[in-house]
Amino acid sequence: MKSFEFFEPTTLAEASRMFTQEHAQLLAGGTDLIIGMKAYTETPQAVISLQKIPGLAGIATDADNGITIGAMTKAREVELSEDIQQHHTALAEGAAEIGSIQIRNLATIGGNIAHASPAADTVAGLLVADAQVDIASAGGERTVPIEALFTGPGQTVLAPGEIITAFRLPRATAGSHYIKHKIREVMDLAFIGVAAAVDMDDATITDARIGLAAVAPTPIRAIEAENLLKGNSLSDVLLAEAGEAAAAACSPISDLRCSAEHRRQMVDVLTRRTVQEAVARA
Amino acid sequence: MSEYTVVGQTVARVDAVEKVTGAAQYGADVHPPGMLYGKLVRSKHAHANILSIDTSAAEKLPGVRAIITQADVPSGRRVFATDKVLYLGEPLAAVAATDADIAEEAAELIHIEYEVLPVVQDVMAAIKPSAPGLHGDATKDGPNRRDINAQIRKLSREKEADHSDEISALEAELEKYPDEVYYNISAESHSEAGDVEKGFAESDVVVEDTYVIPRVHQTYMEPHVSVASADSSGKVTVWASTQGPFAIRSGIAGTLGIPLTQINVIGTTMGGGFGGRFGVIITHVPAVLLSQKTGRPVRVQMTREEEFVDGRPAPGCVIKLKTGATHDGRILARQALAFWDSGSVSGASIGSTIRVRGVYKIPNLKVDAYGVHTNKSGTAAYRAPGAPQAIFAGESQLDEIAERIGMDPVKFRLMNMREEGDAVPAGGSEPKVGYKETLEAVADAAGWWDREAGENQGWGVAVGDWTNGCGPGGVYVSVHEDGSVRIFHGSMDITGTDTAISQIIAEILTVPYKSVTITRGDTDSAPYSTGSGGSVVTFTMGNTAKLAAEDAHQRVLELASERLNTNVDNLELRAGAVHVITADPPKSISLGELAAYSLSTTGGPIVGKGSFARQASTPALAAQIAKVEVDPGTGRTRVLKLVASQDVGFAINPMAVEGQIEGGTVQGYAWAMMEEMQYGENGNINPGFVDYRVPTSADLPTVESVIVEVPAPNGPYGAKGVGEPPITPTLATMANAVKDAIGVRITELPIKPEKVVDALKNNGH
Repeated sequence: MKSFEFFEPTTLAEASRMFTQEHAQLLAGGTDLIIGMKAYTETPQAVISLQKIPGLAGIATDADNGITIGAMTKAREVELSEDIQQHHTALAEGAAEIGSIQIRNLATIGGNIAHASPAADTVAGLLVADAQVDIASAGGERTVPIEALFTGPGQTVLAPGEIITAFRLPRATAGSHYIKHKIREVMDLAFIGVAAAVDMDDATITDARIGLAAVAPTPIRAIEAENLLKGNSLSDVLLAEAGEAAAAACSPISDLRCSAEHRRQMVDVLTRRTVQEAVARA
Repeated sequence: MSEYTVVGQTVARVDAVEKVTGAAQYGADVHPPGMLYGKLVRSKHAHANILSIDTSAAEKLPGVRAIITQADVPSGRRVFATDKVLYLGEPLAAVAATDADIAEEAAELIHIEYEVLPVVQDVMAAIKPSAPGLHGDATKDGPNRRDINAQIRKLSREKEADHSDEISALEAELEKYPDEVYYNISAESHSEAGDVEKGFAESDVVVEDTYVIPRVHQTYMEPHVSVASADSSGKVTVWASTQGPFAIRSGIAGTLGIPLTQINVIGTTMGGGFGGRFGVIITHVPAVLLSQKTGRPVRVQMTREEEFVDGRPAPGCVIKLKTGATHDGRILARQALAFWDSGSVSGASIGSTIRVRGVYKIPNLKVDAYGVHTNKSGTAAYRAPGAPQAIFAGESQLDEIAERIGMDPVKFRLMNMREEGDAVPAGGSEPKVGYKETLEAVADAAGWWDREAGENQGWGVAVGDWTNGCGPGGVYVSVHEDGSVRIFHGSMDITGTDTAISQIIAEILTVPYKSVTITRGDTDSAPYSTGSGGSVVTFTMGNTAKLAAEDAHQRVLELASERLNTNVDNLELRAGAVHVITADPPKSISLGELAAYSLSTTGGPIVGKGSFARQASTPALAAQIAKVEVDPGTGRTRVLKLVASQDVGFAINPMAVEGQIEGGTVQGYAWAMMEEMQYGENGNINPGFVDYRVPTSADLPTVESVIVEVPAPNGPYGAKGVGEPPITPTLATMANAVKDAIGVRITELPIKPEKVVDALKNNGH
């Protein structure tokens, strides 16, 4: 890898100021960055580690089951957190799909999201959790909803110097599920990812959220499909309609992994499956 | 019970501790003082004329010590492209610098002006007249034109009669086959037995299909690496990660005009080979050239990405196959036309197309095979080169026939298998091979005869045959004063071969396995040894080791005869000591005592020599059964059961043999289900393990291996080479299981989810 300057700031303000310089990269878990540096696809002049800044890691649950996940929380902790498993199952399942256990013990949820891959494994789960993203910089703090964070593949609304500090999941979800379409059982990238979350009143779906990964330039919500589900009870016809609506919502590409048509078809199939399972879990 | 005490037993590998602790020295662990870092400069286009190569900016970069191009290659043998590149990543130059980053930067600073040319990556496109000619525009005839032209030539030679009318008619016949003028052909291979047209005419069922098998990489864990050091006297030392140090030595000698005696190749512990680690050009020659130019040791090490663009993977191919059989299950005829993707140079294993014959009695067989140039790197061997591809086509089609005639796939195969004494098409007769025993063993072990399948579940069976190679080798055995035995040879340990050699020698000298140690020499010190590929090592070096141990054994008896004052005929070596057979009370002398005694004799120390080159090998069969479940919604296939049997002749180290069976089967599974080098408009587009998927242990259940032992007459203790056969049937095993599960036949590998979903859709689901 190219030589670079390495910084270990101890405050967010310091990190943010360093991060405003050109050719600087943040180091969280390093599982994307270091590989890129070794392959010379990433050649930062400055690497700013976030590891010495206190308060960025950890999962906290408040009295109303609202959960805050620090950006530096390891994917493995998200996967194994009992609160997340219970209240945001889709997110725990997504975290469990990242790489291998060794990778998940290094990789952070903040890195997974800030990298802005449309195929990130935690993103669909965060979408259906209605996650709010806390962002800090030397100039102050702001919060954006997860669906407003991304602007394109590898692109976010983050301005120079802005650093993701936490994800806030405002309330518990009754039932949710994530399915990743892949070839290999583990250590594969998502051909597509689908998460569904529902709240129920007896047999009626009172709220539904569907998050789609790797089917558009950014992760998206399938709003039409969600609206079809809301206020209705589950049936094969309803599932089929929701699947079709979700498929219509995406704008996938054809690439070396599979065709756009296959992605669209899998959104249909997996939306039906995730919704059905989410309802079963609620 | 076995009459043996060491062979036939599972023992820990001789290299177990160094592998487990990380002490083993791989190529990248070699770091002589003052070592420079070499980097190959690679083409950024898959097909282009080179207008200029400007190294001036790179030369000025501090830390750059040498830049070489084809002008530096004395023999003129193509190491670097000069006027034209034929594939993305083809080397154009190499740099040596004081660290890897500078080498990388220097490589980027070398300015190359290209004139981009049209690219052809698909074999079926490459044979057409519209394809760019990679090596000119010469053509070859396809099978029908070839036959007709042969007849025309024959008639033209007959001067006695006038055949002009017949010749005109034949020339008109040629016009019927305008598409059979093939471009970009690198090699061809043809064979014929009987009359296939007659065979098809007599068949009740004829099935015809086209099978497409992708190019796959051997994906050994350790990328190619070479460290070369040329000293001031001109002596060149090369630490090479290779399957064949002696082949590397002669390759360097031939390419660079260095006498053999001035080259020492030291084989480093190999991080996997699978047939892909024989090439001399890839890293070894550039490393030597750079070291000669700088006077410093130089390491050239490929990245994984470089492995994919400039490794020498297994060729993909397209096989058009036709089979005819009778209603009662006799195969009458088979015809294959194969196009192998040879890449930019010839060398694809097109001769393996004949393996569509399988181990069956097929009276009429015709095989036409062509190697085709495309804008890809050249290819090399990969575990039974060419066989998995041909057998995929052959065994897939057998199941289609079995289904049409309503016969059980295992019974259909059993009834058509060749038997001992049957004529072999190539001449001679079939030796005793456990074809039926092996298939029956896997069927019994898998529970084939009372198999059950739930919804979307299916069972598949296939068999594959392969015969181990053979080559020259030499082994020395010494017995020391403490009774220990030392072995010295020059063959690279691959998959536990040093362990097998040690077991054989321990067996003959009747010492415990742990008393034997083995040392591999370099090409300066060790006797010549064939490369460790083609399943040769246990067969060749096992025989060689046996000869060496028997030679030592003879010397031991001579010494004992002197020492015990009795005729050699009265002596027996047993449990590490020589015993006088008839003595009462018993009388004996240990190996250690004899070794100590030998040091003061005229005849000298106990040294056995074994030297061996060639004996006829015996075919081996691998038979496999898979049970799968296919998700029709997503097209994903899950393996529920995978059972693999193999006729290994004799298992010298059963656990090592099981390891080979499991490893080969998993590689075959991977080729069937996920591995595939993909090519876009400008070369390989999945040069890494993100999008070139190799399976993990989570993808498969434990492979159940079943060892079948029908001894090979010339193998050590009856052993056959075991490394290659197990990959040969798995591609078809998987495709046959998927067909059984969901009723669709996938003829184009890998069986990715999308293909399954699409096939189901096309099938009306």
